[in-house]
This record gives sequence, C-alpha cells and structure tokens, in this order.
Amino acid sequence: MAMGMAVGELGFPYWNPLRRRFPPDSPFFASGNVERELLAKQVALDFTEDEITNLQTIVETESRRISCPIVGCPERLKSLDNFEDHYKTRHTASCSVCSRVYPTSRLLSIHISEAHDSFFQAKVARGYDMYECLVEGCGLKFKSYKARHRHLIDKHKFPTTFEFFKRTQLSKKRREKLQRQRVPKLKHEEDKEEASSDAMEVEDKASLDGLVSALSTLTTSDTTPSNVSFGRRHGRGLTFVPRSVHREKPTNSSSTPGSKT
Amino acid sequence: MADDGSASNRRDPIKSSVGNVAGQRRRQQAVTVAKERRELLVRAKRLCRVGTNGGDEDARVENEMMIDEEQPVLEAQTVKAVEELKSAVQSQGKGAMQKRVTALRELRRLLSKSEFPPIDAALSAGAVPLLVQCLSFGSPDEQLLESAWCLTNIAAGKPEETKALLPALPLLIAHLGEKSSAPVAEQCAWAIGNVAGEGEELRNVLLSQGALPPLARMIFPDKGSTVRTAAWALSNLIKGPESKAAAQLVRADGIVDAILRHLKKTDEEIATEIAWIVVYLSALSDIATSMLLKGGILQLLVERLATSNSLQLLIPVLRSLGNFVSVDPKAMLTILVGGQNTEENVINVLAKCLRSEHRVLKKEAAWVLSNIAAGSIEHKRMIHSSEAMPLLLRLLSTSPFDIKKEVAYVLGNLCVESAEGGDARPRIIQEHLVSIVSGGCLRGFIDLVRSPDIEAARLGLQFIELVLRGMPNGEGSKLVEGEDGIDAMERFQFHENEELRVMANSLVDKYFGEDYGIDE
Repeated sequence: MAMGMAVGELGFPYWNPLRRRFPPDSPFFASGNVERELLAKQVALDFTEDEITNLQTIVETESRRISCPIVGCPERLKSLDNFEDHYKTRHTASCSVCSRVYPTSRLLSIHISEAHDSFFQAKVARGYDMYECLVEGCGLKFKSYKARHRHLIDKHKFPTTFEFFKRTQLSKKRREKLQRQRVPKLKHEEDKEEASSDAMEVEDKASLDGLVSALSTLTTSDTTPSNVSFGRRHGRGLTFVPRSVHREKPTNSSSTPGSKT
Repeated sequence: MADDGSASNRRDPIKSSVGNVAGQRRRQQAVTVAKERRELLVRAKRLCRVGTNGGDEDARVENEMMIDEEQPVLEAQTVKAVEELKSAVQSQGKGAMQKRVTALRELRRLLSKSEFPPIDAALSAGAVPLLVQCLSFGSPDEQLLESAWCLTNIAAGKPEETKALLPALPLLIAHLGEKSSAPVAEQCAWAIGNVAGEGEELRNVLLSQGALPPLARMIFPDKGSTVRTAAWALSNLIKGPESKAAAQLVRADGIVDAILRHLKKTDEEIATEIAWIVVYLSALSDIATSMLLKGGILQLLVERLATSNSLQLLIPVLRSLGNFVSVDPKAMLTILVGGQNTEENVINVLAKCLRSEHRVLKKEAAWVLSNIAAGSIEHKRMIHSSEAMPLLLRLLSTSPFDIKKEVAYVLGNLCVESAEGGDARPRIIQEHLVSIVSGGCLRGFIDLVRSPDIEAARLGLQFIELVLRGMPNGEGSKLVEGEDGIDAMERFQFHENEELRVMANSLVDKYFGEDYGIDE
C-alpha cells in the first residue's frame, strides 16, 4: 500500500538496538536488592530441625577438651580446630618481652621496635623518622609517638582515645620496686607516658607495659628481642631480660627459652 | 548472610543450646517479625543473634527467650548491664578478666534478643567507649569476641547508631589480622560489614582506616564461615556508587583468582557473597571486568545459573552476567571464541531464568537478553532460534509491567540491525519481524502504548513503526488496525508529552492518512 508521503519523517526516533547499562544503585535493580535483604533477614530467627539435633550432640562433646601443650598455658580447647586457632593467636604473635599479643605480625613487629628496641630509640634520639603509621599501605613515618598519633587522628580518622601503646596498672609492690631501680630517662622518653607512675596488674595476661618501658630505657647488650616466644606468660616473669636488670631476681625464669633472632 | 532460608546466619549452627521449645517459639516470632520487615527492607545490616563462636552458652538462654518483653524493661536492664561493664573495666586484680567477660556477655545477650535491640539505651549509657577498651590488644579472645558482638548489633541499628561505632573502627580493623583467632576476626568483620552497609560516608572512613586489605585476605581460604562473613562485609564495602573501593580491591594480590576459585567450587552460601562482589566489581571497575573476563568468569556464571536453584545466588550471578554483557560487547565475542556450546548455554540458561517464578529473575534475564540482542546478527539469530522465543512471546502478554518492558526491548532488538555509525534509519530484519508478529506480540506492544509509563509508550510506538514499515506487502497497517492500534495512537493527539504526541501523530498521518483503505 503505497504511502503518498515522503520518507522524510524527520525526528521520528526509529528503533535502534542499544545496550543498556545501569549503575549498581540504579532503581532498575531495586527489586533484586530488596530480595537480598528480605531473604537475609529471615534467616536470623530460625533454627532448622538439623541444627537442633546438632545442638544436642555438641553438648555431649563439651566435656572432652584438649589442654594446650605449651608450657605455662592454661587453655583447654574444645577441639583441634579451636586449638589451632588458639595456638595461632597466643603462641605465634606474642611479644617475647612483654607478652602482649597482636593480631598481625606487622603490628607485633612495630610494637617490638618501639617498645623494646634500644637501637630504635637511639635512632629516634638522632632525629630519624622511626614511628610508622599503623595503617597498612600508608607508609608514612614520624619522629615521635605523639606525631604519629596525631597523624592517625588527622589523616586516618582514628578516634582521639585510641592508644597503640597502652599503659596498665602495676601493683603497689611492683611500683615500689621500679622506683628503686629507676634510671634517668633519655630525652626521647618524654614522648611516652610516665613509666614509673604506673602499676602493673600481675595476673592480667598481657600487662607488662610499665615494667617494660622502664626497662627499655636501660641499655642492653643484646640486640633485637625475638618475634617468637614459646610459653604463655601471665605477667609473672620475663623470658627475655636485659642483662643490666639481672640484679632484680626474676620471679619466674621461663622454662622454655625463647628463640632469638 | 545470604541463605536460602534453610541454613542459618551462624557459622556453626551448633553453638547455642536452645532446645525444641525455644526453636518453636522462634519460628513463631519469625512470623510476627515478617510483618515488621517492611521498615527493615533496605537495611544492609545484619543482627548477630548467635555469635561466631558460641562459646559457653548455657541453658539459661532458653529461659530468656522473651517474646513479649516490654521494651522499657529491656532498656533498664541494658543500662544496668552497661554500668556493670563500666565497673568491670575499671577493676583490677584477680578475677577482673572474668568479671569483664561476664559483664560483656550480659550486655551482649540483651542486645541479641529481639529484632529491635535496646541500642539507644546502651549508647546513652556509654557502652561504646567501654567496648572499645575491651578490644585492646592482648585481651583474651572471649573478651574480644563478646565486645565485637555487642558492637555488631549496635551497628545493625539506625544510621546514627551505626555511626556511634566510629571510635571502635581502628581496633575492629586491627583484629582482622592474620594472627587473630578466626571467630574473633569473623565477628569483627561482621561489625565492620554492618558499618559499611550504612552508607558511603562510613565506607570512606573504613577505607581510609585500611579496612580493605585485611578483609580481602580473609576470603582466601577455601571454606568456612569466616570466608562468608568477610565476603559479605567486602561486598558492602565496595558497593559504591563511588568506584575507588572496587578499584582498590582489584589491586589486592590474588583476589581475582580467589574470586574465580570460589565461584567455581564453593558452596552456595559463600558463592552468593562472592557473586555480589562480582556484581560491584563488574559495575564499577573496568580493570576488574577485563581481568575477570580473561579468567573465564562467564563460563562460571553460566554454570552456576544452570545448576543452582537458590534465588539468593541466582540474583547476583545473573546480574553479574548482565553487567559483563552490558559493558563489553567483546565479552560476548569471547564466548563465541570459547566454542559455540558456551553461547547457546548462555541463552539456555537465561531461558531457564525466564521460566522461573521469581519476578526479579525474569526481569533481569530479559534485560540481559536485550543486550545480547543488541549485538551482532549471529546473536540475534541465536536468540531467535532458541527456546527463549516462545517464553518471551508469552511473557509479553502475561507478565507484570516491568518484565513486559524488558521483554519488549528484547523483541524489538531482535528485529532491527544494530546501526553502525550515523545511519538514519536502522534496517529491519524482516524474517524476525514477521515471525515475531505472527507469534502474536503486536497486542502486547499496543498495550505498552497505552501505559502511563513514558518509556514504555515510546517503545510501543517505535515497534508499531517497525511493523508499519517492515511488514511485507504493507500488511502492517491492517495488523495494527486489527489490534486497535489506531485507537491507541490517537489517544496521543492531545497528550501532554510532546515527543510522544509527535511520534503518534506522524505515524497516524503517514500510514493511516486520507489514502488509507482506499486501495483495497
């Protein structure tokens, strides 16, 4: 059927196949996103029959536990998996000087340098930028603990209350002992908090900060403390004691020597 | 976490000693809560009901299943618990540690009971600084776990409640480290996931505090609930719409391999979270897109679509496929190169989605098909001769509006050659047009013309134009008339939308002008 009019339909938008792409937050995907949330929420409140039966089995196995074989560690674990976890946490990333435990090797090594390494302190005293930013990938270094702290707050939005190197309370007895052995602090120590005023909580699993920072002002003839320690310490003794402090009787010489790097 | 409703949110479903009665009560509560769900619809955050490690839950939990607990009572108990925690945190000496764990546990229980935990009460009582203190390095695992759990559920609340976690973020991130015990790392990831789910501002804070690399590392193991939680948290962290997080993720060493590995082998729960990561990567990062394509992701997506019946998994897998197809025309070519079976498989798998009863799958599958149909002639032929055709024709007549529109795109794209450059008028593929029209699609398109949605009406008019122009022997006009097409178009005579008015009028003028009907 011939159309009398010319083809000049200027402006009619003819069908043209085009790929259509939508950004992830487009309303096009809204219904799919809702499904995700609905189905996810639903789960939070339900137990299936299987799970309830499983519950009963686990109660029976409760009593069978594995004692951690590492000398001095009192942990009793529910299963081999738990033991592996425990070992990984407690016996591989703890500081051999002060027992503190860190969630990554990197943080542990930063701690060791800053808290126990006199070589580190020496470099700081000479004005080198030694304090690393704690955020992986940042790379910046600073001359002082405080400066790094400020950087964390300003640049990385850490809260002002965050403290990488925390003091803990020493018992009165320890405090007095420390006072007797105080050595005049080096200049760079001013950045750290007062070591001597702190008491130490002896039974706390990881709380030798006060003693340690006092120790780190003393010169040691050995160099870097080890990264690996065997043996859980509960604040009662030191596996590694700088030689110059040996006049104090160690309360508990460790049964397993830490390996030295 | 994404589940198909049968497995639970909990890593180890075993951990809480809740018996049968409590189980039943929870089911009832689930029904009640379903009604309240509407206001929680858009929440990307998840309440942690049973923690990642369970620990020593005792039978007391059963008795504490309060369904009808008055909110004020709960709040008062919460305030008390926070005060207990405060004194526990300050205390020293023997038993201090146990005291802390007990106090934390009590607070955690109060925060895990109902769908609406007393978060506000906890915050006003000053819970967060105390919880942060409990996260300090070297604290016993139980303490870390309970504290992170409390923070998780606080973060699952309203926006301002989630924001209250800001001071805790650096420590939560630090405990994602490879030396942390798995349950602790997982619970921290969960809390971080909730924070990331809140909004872009918080996501940026997390990124600047270095949350992404440790989370990325957590998805490398082959299985485990930690992997699932971390993947979920990651998906929240990179969802954008800003692309920098996605860009950072793809730079993580080995991440693409891990993603491909999981998509290939892992159980559906983990695969679901990974698929969402792929959704965002494919939408936001060109580098990720090309790396994933090179790694053979399309085949993996097709296999998942073919074998899975979990809606939770199918949605992100389908969408990823759609993203790849929409971004990269050569992506379709790579399937071509891979062997013709793969391509047919793509179309068959999309047909499977069209057959699904789920609205989302139908709609998004049609969208993907429309993009494939916007490709080469070969692709159009492939769709046209596939089992998808009868499904599409049926869907055009019967399905709800949003699906109908997508199907319209597919059908129209099949009938027209994709224009190269500035062709004035793309050419019609008559063979396809004829077969589709004789399949009875005209009615559906004319219905679209009548819809109030501008885009749909436009589509309808465009298709009518194809029919009028392209049907052999000028049959088009009669067909259109037969389906009340003239009437539908005439409604636009005085329509407020100028473009549509002009379109409709020009068609009517051209094809149904004064000469119409005279030549018979």
